[in-house]
Order: sequence, then C-alpha cells, then structure tokens
Amino acid sequence: MSEPILLEVVTPTKRVFGAQVSEVSFPSAANGYYGILPGHTPVMTPLGQGLVYYVQGGQKHWLTVFGGFAEVGPDHVTILARESETVDEIDVDRAEAERSHALKLLKEAQTEADLGNAQAALDRSIIRIEAAGHPGGHGY
Amino acid sequence: MAGLQDIRRRIRSVKNTQQVTKAMKMISAVKLRKSQERLVSLRPYADKMKAVAISVVGRIKGQNLAEGLELGPSAQAFLNPREEHRIRVVLIASDKGLCGGFNANVLKKATAFFAGRSHESVVLDVVGKRAADWARKHGFQANSEYLGIPLAGVERVSREVCDAAALQYQNGEIDALYVIYNHFFSAVAQEPMVMKVFPLDMDAPANDGKSGIAHLLEPDPNTTLEALLPRFVETEMLRSLLESQASEHGARMASMDKASNNAGEMIAKLTLTMNKIRQASITNQIIEIVSGANA
Repeated sequence: MSEPILLEVVTPTKRVFGAQVSEVSFPSAANGYYGILPGHTPVMTPLGQGLVYYVQGGQKHWLTVFGGFAEVGPDHVTILARESETVDEIDVDRAEAERSHALKLLKEAQTEADLGNAQAALDRSIIRIEAAGHPGGHGY
Repeated sequence: MAGLQDIRRRIRSVKNTQQVTKAMKMISAVKLRKSQERLVSLRPYADKMKAVAISVVGRIKGQNLAEGLELGPSAQAFLNPREEHRIRVVLIASDKGLCGGFNANVLKKATAFFAGRSHESVVLDVVGKRAADWARKHGFQANSEYLGIPLAGVERVSREVCDAAALQYQNGEIDALYVIYNHFFSAVAQEPMVMKVFPLDMDAPANDGKSGIAHLLEPDPNTTLEALLPRFVETEMLRSLLESQASEHGARMASMDKASNNAGEMIAKLTLTMNKIRQASITNQIIEIVSGANA
C-alpha cells in the first residue's frame, strides 16, 4: 500500500535494517544527499558518511552510515554500508568522549596523516551525536 | 592374572583419551559458534554485493563498452577477461589436524586443480600450516604464508591478498585470482571448492532476472566501478576465509564426536572382556577348591 520501498541496510557484520518504507534519504560520496521516493530511476552510487533517514508509518527514523554503496530500484533501496548503526545503538556519552578526544588530537597533530585521521574521527563522532539528537522518530 | 592387569590399564588409557577428545569437541563447538555467527552475518552482505556487482557489470559490459568508455584498471579486470597464462591461487586449509577429512579433501582438490599446470604459471598464497606443508611437498614456492590467523585477523589477510592481486593483475603479472577452500554448508557438511574471484564470469548469471535493471552509475560509471569492484573482490575473499574457518571447526567437532563415541565403544568391549576373564578365573578357583575337597 503506502509503503512501497523495500529498504535493506546490511554491513559485513550485521543486517541493520530491512522493511518496507515510503521514503529514503542517504548521503552519496560525490553528489550530496539523495532523496528516494517510490518509482525512482535505478541508480548505483558509492556512499559517503552521514545520516540516512527513512519514513515508516509517517515517521522519520534515522541511521548512521559510513562508506559503502547504495543500489536503488523502483521498489527497493539496498544500502551496503561499510559500517552502519541505528539511533538506538549509539552511545552518546562515548560519541561525546570520542569528539573531545578527536579535537585534542586535531590540535596536537604533527603530520598530514595524523590530521586526516583526527578529522575523520571527529566527523564520525559528530555524525553519531547528530543522529542521537534525533529521537527515535519525531513528527513528520 | 597378567591379562586382567593389562586390560585394566588399557581401559584407563582409553578413558583418558576420551576425556581429551570430549574436551576438544567442546572447544570446537564454541569456536564453531563464533565463526558461524561471523559468517552468517557476512553472507547477506556478500550476496547483495555480488548481485549488485553482477547486475552493474553485466550492463556496463553490454552497453558502455560499445560507447567507447575509458575504463579504470579494476573495471577492466572484470570486463576483459584474458587468456590465463599465469594465475594467483589462494589455498586455504587449517593450522591443526584432527579434523577428519577437512584438510585432505581441500588438498586433494588442490592437487587436481594444479595437475597440468607448471609451477611457474602459479603464484600461490597459502593459509594454514597444512596448506604450507602441502605446497612444500609439491614443490611450490609459496608467495606468502598466513599461519595462525585468528578470527579477527581474516579481514587483514583478505585485504592484503586482494590489494596485491589487483596490482599484479594491472601489471599483467597474473590473469586471474582463484581461491580453493572448504565451503560451509552446515556443522557436519563441508565441501572443498574452487572459486574464481576475478575476472568475473559474466555470462553465467545473466538470467538472474534482476540483472535486467539498467542502473545509472553516479557520479560516473568509472568512479563507481573503481569503488565497487575492489570492495566486492575483498568481500568474496573474506567470505571464503570465514567459510573455511567455520568448516574447520565443524569438521573437528564432528570428528572429535566420533572419536569420543569410538572410545566409549572400546571401553565397553574391554570391560566385557575384563569381566569374562575375571569370571573365568573365579570359576577356575572354585573348581580347584571343590575338586580338592572331594579328593
């Protein structure tokens, strides 16, 4: 009926999500966020990192995603993520700790590689904190 | 009687062995559960990855080649299979024995696979001590040996092998990458298999049904393929390593279970013989006493 898209989110270590939804949004590596509604043209694109949301039962739900690929068809979206987690799985305190640690590393970074690593860690923690900021689903 | 002492000693020794095999079976069961969990959680990802890769590559091959698209190096690996002059093979066995036919089967498969190929035409990577021993015995100079790989280390191995193989392919040093491993069907059923990792055989799975979908590749076909294909190869390799680990523990569990049962049977037989001998000696003694009293 009104939830015609089959969204599947799988990572090498687990199946994060799999159900019918009515709308999906995910971050691509190159073209910013994609918003997918039923009947979308088939697309295959590498993923960046950031927040995925899907609409189920009129509510938005959030996931984090770090790298991987998305395959879109008229009636399905398959997200092959390198890493992904639902909002419930995020430990906010740990993410906050990671952020302050990453900020510290960023200040102390000596080499280009250190800087890159610290920046990546910072980005990841920020994404997690942002995702956790969205409650399980707020009004749509 | 000397016979009685001997049998008692044997029973004791068989009991000790049975304890060892029982313990090994228990350990294998735990390890099996762990590696099976890891494998089962990877399978959906690997299956999806394969379906997507085949669908995308199938389409690219059909259309974009005709449009004169410039392909990156790893895309070419999939789209333009070459004649196989020199191949790279990853042979996966275990470090330890006592796991039934696990190693024997996969090594037999390997022997059959290599029959008719010269040693120079093969770059061999071995995983596990048994595979390394096999390679030495058959005169192969192993390119790299991975021994004692823990469950957490399989990702590193698969990445190393795949990166190296992809580079070799681009430089024209090898024409294909194969894996020989034990495929895990269940805790009691494993089967040795030869899998071609790349170049992909694109003709076989064309009737998949879904492969008819014409995907747009964004931002552009080349970037997408360059990102997708190495990842796909790595996933396949990771999967075969995990399959092999799960198979090993399954095989060991089954064979240790059998060993424990055999030990149990043996103890029962020996106990019976021991009782017979004891009874015979008692009967003998009574006869002696009775005949002595009669005299």
